[in-house]
Amino acid sequence: MKSKRAWLFRGLTVLALLLIAAVMFIIGRGHTVYIDNKNIDYNGQTYKGPYKVVVTVDGEQVAKLYNKDRGMAKCIGQKFEMLLAITQEKGGEEVNMGVTMTLPYSMDGIVVNLPALLAGLPQDAYLSEFVSAIPEEPVEEDVVTDEFGIPDAEGEVLPEA
Amino acid sequence: MSEIKNNNTAEKDFGKKVGDFLRNNSVPIMFVIICAICIPISGFSPSYLLNEIMTRMGRNTFLILCLLIPIMAGMGLNFGMTLGAMAGEIGLILVADWQIWGIPGVVLAMIISIPISVLLGLLCGKILNMAKGREMVTSYIISYFINGLYQLVVLYMMGPIIPIKHSAIKLPRGYGIRNTVSLLNMRQCIDNLIAVNIKGVKIPVLTLILIALLCFFIIWFRKTKLGQDMRAVGQDMQVARDAGINVERTRIISIVMSTVLAGFGMILYLQNMGNLSTYSSHSQIGMFCIAALLVGGASVDKASIGNVFLGVTLFHLMFIVAPAAGAKITGDSMIGEYFRVFVSYGVITVALTMYEAKKRKMKSMLGAQLALEQKEETK
Repeated sequence: MKSKRAWLFRGLTVLALLLIAAVMFIIGRGHTVYIDNKNIDYNGQTYKGPYKVVVTVDGEQVAKLYNKDRGMAKCIGQKFEMLLAITQEKGGEEVNMGVTMTLPYSMDGIVVNLPALLAGLPQDAYLSEFVSAIPEEPVEEDVVTDEFGIPDAEGEVLPEA
Repeated sequence: MSEIKNNNTAEKDFGKKVGDFLRNNSVPIMFVIICAICIPISGFSPSYLLNEIMTRMGRNTFLILCLLIPIMAGMGLNFGMTLGAMAGEIGLILVADWQIWGIPGVVLAMIISIPISVLLGLLCGKILNMAKGREMVTSYIISYFINGLYQLVVLYMMGPIIPIKHSAIKLPRGYGIRNTVSLLNMRQCIDNLIAVNIKGVKIPVLTLILIALLCFFIIWFRKTKLGQDMRAVGQDMQVARDAGINVERTRIISIVMSTVLAGFGMILYLQNMGNLSTYSSHSQIGMFCIAALLVGGASVDKASIGNVFLGVTLFHLMFIVAPAAGAKITGDSMIGEYFRVFVSYGVITVALTMYEAKKRKMKSMLGAQLALEQKEETK
């Protein structure tokens, strides 16, 4: 009886840990959000960006974007909230706007195009995956696992891999 | 006449007490003297030193506390805590690749490390049961053995067998993990969550709460049936066995608990550092934690929470001031570096030698007492 209870307790502990892990897996997913204030062509129409947009995330100003600028913010979880202070024309009035969006789980870096977002276009128009424009050069890396760092005859530390 | 005699006895008792105190606390006293000499020479301000001590206390204390449980079970200083550190590192590598950031990342890494730590702890415990009386050297060698397995997993299995997606983590050849994994997205997330700044000294309240919780757990655990069993096993295995305690099982549990806690401690340590040195972060961690505990006045068979805090403070104070003091005295900061490495290993050597000498002295005293009793019996 006692052993049965012990096994039940262990099983419940494992289950609770798995549950916590699953929750952490979802709520802890980090994304880098790139906010673009660049003109966009969609369905043959050009959407122009405002003169200036000040982006605030979690009470902290992360970017001041003039036309063709890009800003960056980090977000943990799928819900991304930002406050935009938009100035359409130079010397014009500043309009505040709160934006909340759900970020796709599978994307690490996400580009949000502000002109498309402000124009109310569908998600596929304003949201895309960030792909680095500069192809990464594979640089070989010597992995040194020998903590003694014993040099060979030529004085080079022997890489073990 | 009798008053003079009483005074003499009281003086002798006091002298004996002082002598015992100095003998029993020779290592911490030595470190207090070193620090007292080095602090003024180093020229660091008190707030800088306090800040550094606070950071290092948050970073290291959890790891050192995990050494207390095997000492309680009479298994000495657990050099096998490195196994838990490796488990923690595997958890962090996976979490970094899955892009789980912040506190959820730390929690997930801890959960991932648990089964790995349990398995490694079980293996270590079983081997240590086969090498009773030689636990420390055995656990030290086990850590090298498991380090080989860790390298096999991290260098060859991560990529083709265990999926690793990000090129920032994976080696350019397509498999294996890079020398350094960035943990920038979870750097000091626990330390900064409830941080209080008092006159330039940053106090990582949440980290200290976690350390306090572990301290309370250890205090509570000592009073439980299992804790009492461990203490009984630590005092005398044969007597414990005669009392119906499953000695082998108790010893394995103590090592498993220590390994799991070491995994957690390593994750806390690395989240503070903000990057993970894949092949070397764990290699010296056991040595430094054990040195810190010994500096705090612990011995192979006796250690308390007080020893942990005193040890962290003194050992890391020496770590901070020694290079600067060395640079001021000799003009070369490397002298201080050599000094602290020499002291770290030296203190372990001295503590182990003192323990063995004390054990032999006790043994010979018991032998002499037995011989005296036998002599009296034959009379």
